[in-house]
Amino acid sequence: MSILSPSVLFVIFSGVMIGIIVGAIPGLNGAIGISLLLPITFTLEPQIGLLLLGGIYMGGMYGGSITAILLNVPGDVVAAPAAMEGYPLTQQGRSKEALYYSIFSSMFGGFIGVLILIFFTPPLASFALKFGPAEMFFISLSGLVVVGALAGSIYKSLFAVLFGLFISTVGVDMITASQRFTMGNINLRSGISVVPVVLGLFCLAEMFLNIGKKATEVVEYKDQDINKMTVIKDIVRQKSLVIKSSLIGTFVGLLPGVGTTLAVFLSYGEAKRVSKNPELFEKGNVEGIIAAEAANNATVGSSLVPLLALGVPGSPTSAIIAGALIIHGVILGPSLFVQRPDIAYTFIFGMLLTVVAMTLIGAFGIKYFSYILKIKMEYIVPTVLVFTIFGAYSLRNNVFDVLIAIILGVIGAIFKKTGVPLAPIIIGVVLGGLIETNLMRSMTIANARQVSLVRYMLTNPLAIVLLVMVCAIFYVVIKMRATTKTQ
Amino acid sequence: MKRKIGILLVGLVFMLAAFVGCTSETNQEATGETNGEVAAGVEYPTKNIQIIVPYSAGGGGDTVARILSDALSQELGRQINVVNREGAGGEIGIAEMARSNPDGYTLGVFGYPDNFVLEHTRDTDFTFESFEYLAAFDDMPMGIFAGPDSPFQSTDDLVEFGTANPGALTIGESGALGLLHVLAFSDHLGIETAPVTFSGGGELMNSLLGKHVDLVSTSSMSHDPITDAGGHPIGFAAAERMAMFPEVPTFKESGYDLEMGVSRVIVAPAGLPEEIKEVLTAALDKIGNDPELKARFETAALPYRYLGSEDVSEFLTRSNNTLKPVIERNIERFK
Repeated sequence: MSILSPSVLFVIFSGVMIGIIVGAIPGLNGAIGISLLLPITFTLEPQIGLLLLGGIYMGGMYGGSITAILLNVPGDVVAAPAAMEGYPLTQQGRSKEALYYSIFSSMFGGFIGVLILIFFTPPLASFALKFGPAEMFFISLSGLVVVGALAGSIYKSLFAVLFGLFISTVGVDMITASQRFTMGNINLRSGISVVPVVLGLFCLAEMFLNIGKKATEVVEYKDQDINKMTVIKDIVRQKSLVIKSSLIGTFVGLLPGVGTTLAVFLSYGEAKRVSKNPELFEKGNVEGIIAAEAANNATVGSSLVPLLALGVPGSPTSAIIAGALIIHGVILGPSLFVQRPDIAYTFIFGMLLTVVAMTLIGAFGIKYFSYILKIKMEYIVPTVLVFTIFGAYSLRNNVFDVLIAIILGVIGAIFKKTGVPLAPIIIGVVLGGLIETNLMRSMTIANARQVSLVRYMLTNPLAIVLLVMVCAIFYVVIKMRATTKTQ
Repeated sequence: MKRKIGILLVGLVFMLAAFVGCTSETNQEATGETNGEVAAGVEYPTKNIQIIVPYSAGGGGDTVARILSDALSQELGRQINVVNREGAGGEIGIAEMARSNPDGYTLGVFGYPDNFVLEHTRDTDFTFESFEYLAAFDDMPMGIFAGPDSPFQSTDDLVEFGTANPGALTIGESGALGLLHVLAFSDHLGIETAPVTFSGGGELMNSLLGKHVDLVSTSSMSHDPITDAGGHPIGFAAAERMAMFPEVPTFKESGYDLEMGVSRVIVAPAGLPEEIKEVLTAALDKIGNDPELKARFETAALPYRYLGSEDVSEFLTRSNNTLKPVIERNIERFK
């Protein structure tokens, strides 16, 4: 079947459209959209069904940025940096500019990720396998160090990341199965997942602070026009930033469990490090948008690499795509490209079309997205509140997650008022569990092999490289802090 | 203009609520003709049914539930919604099933013996008797797999290495059953091993294929992806060789009487009225003996074996008796 046939194109566009919508709605994300439409794919031809899901995945990565930029309400965890940079631009009346930077960076990132999927699947899959517990420990640690690169008081940032790490310790310990901070509550046993935390800290907190404000106090809507080509030219001019961010997204996206969030923040931190104007970050710097958006869309292609080549899903969303493949009787692994080339190649080449569809829908939709700013706050606040609560519930169909989101919404509002940054909390929640479980696994294996923990963790050259990287980031962050102080 | 957009947004909220909220009973009318039987004055089903799955979307248990809900809804003429309520190794969803109203409108699908292992290793709100076991659909034995270039080919190799190097053999596992299987396997072989806990199938595969652990304990469903990438099975904890993988030996053949596996069951909360149970079991027997359902399971690499409501209770009771001593012997490893 040709991937350019009308039915395939229709499926791809619908998938991307659904993805953008679920991505833009706080609490819903690509993974939820895909699990909702999973049953539909049972009746479709495998290639068509997969491209529908692939389209949702790609669109979902972008959609979250729209509400992030316009309302400071990131539709998804990966859109948090887009809110940090994009919303200040909106407040300056430059919303369209921010949106254009977001969609075109997503386009470049998406293309690079999928091209790498097409051309480098076998070598990258074996690279991903090199990440054992020790390597996962170091890469997660590098994410934690990046927190230091974010703006604001270092003590407040430290407090925030510790708060995030604390949240990650709640629940049944993965390794020893002992209960921590569960207070006998069955819902706390599975821990606090990152989605209600993000919904509370970002979406609810922002809305709580907006209650009672008049529209004019929030954003003065100025329709400052900007030419699409100006933005594209500017992004192309910054090609090293785009390529580097996409590669960070690609490599981190390869690793199962580490996921997109780390990729986005690492890329964002790196952009700030090399920026000529680091002081503009978190005040509306398009470089931050480029870095974060290119990285998150790059992870889409790369998280499919270990899935298609080894049957190892690189992200929760690709795990659901794996489920869809299994139902169609497709065996994932090296022989996929030999036994079912029809499915494999249609799928990966079709992913290029999802990027095209996303760009078209995004670029031509921006005119309409900006209308959101014309809506009065008295309409926006209840709408976002409803979506957020509904999104928190839909995560596991559990009212408890709604409660978590509301509690964190109150905490988030207090933190915003007192200047405690919110991004480090998310990083702490995402990485806390990874750091801990991989350290515990390393200890078990070191013990079994009767070597010291340090010896085991530094056996592989890759682990040593990663450790050096962690130290380098740490050094750079300290230096960056010192120079901003002297200025 | 502003008002219109406001109204549009609110409308969108409701549309989405209806769309995603398939979990609630928004769609009251039947999808097809109602052929639910009227038994002894009870009309069932008169509304949509929900099936709780205690795992996230995309895995084996979820796949089974979705295939079943599709077949069962055609048989009963009502929409059947799958609700994923994952968390705490399945405990949250299973506890929710046990608490639900036994009216036939909330059913559950999970992998036995998750409930049994949880019940005996944690302070759970449910017991084995909290459920009416309506049917079982597959029989997937646990297996031990070695990674690419592994020197271990058979249980004999493992015994030899394990005796010479106590505690040195690392075996990756995930989930309560994965750990139980490692412990029971080591127990049978009489060697000491080091179980390494991973949080899911993806991480487990990565650790085996990347040679970070020596072996993994997982179900036969992983056979193809592992062999495809150069790994090989040591054996399955099955009563006899599987029709799907006739070349893989059972542990029994090597003299280790270890049988352990996952069987996806469909349950209702205990106290289900007899009339409703009759309607459900009749419908399940009908779809369960349909070759089309068997074919769908086998396409998804799930070894099909249908057990109706009487057979399933007998099978599970027998299995409980085998598992209980294993759990009791290793109880401190779960604490």
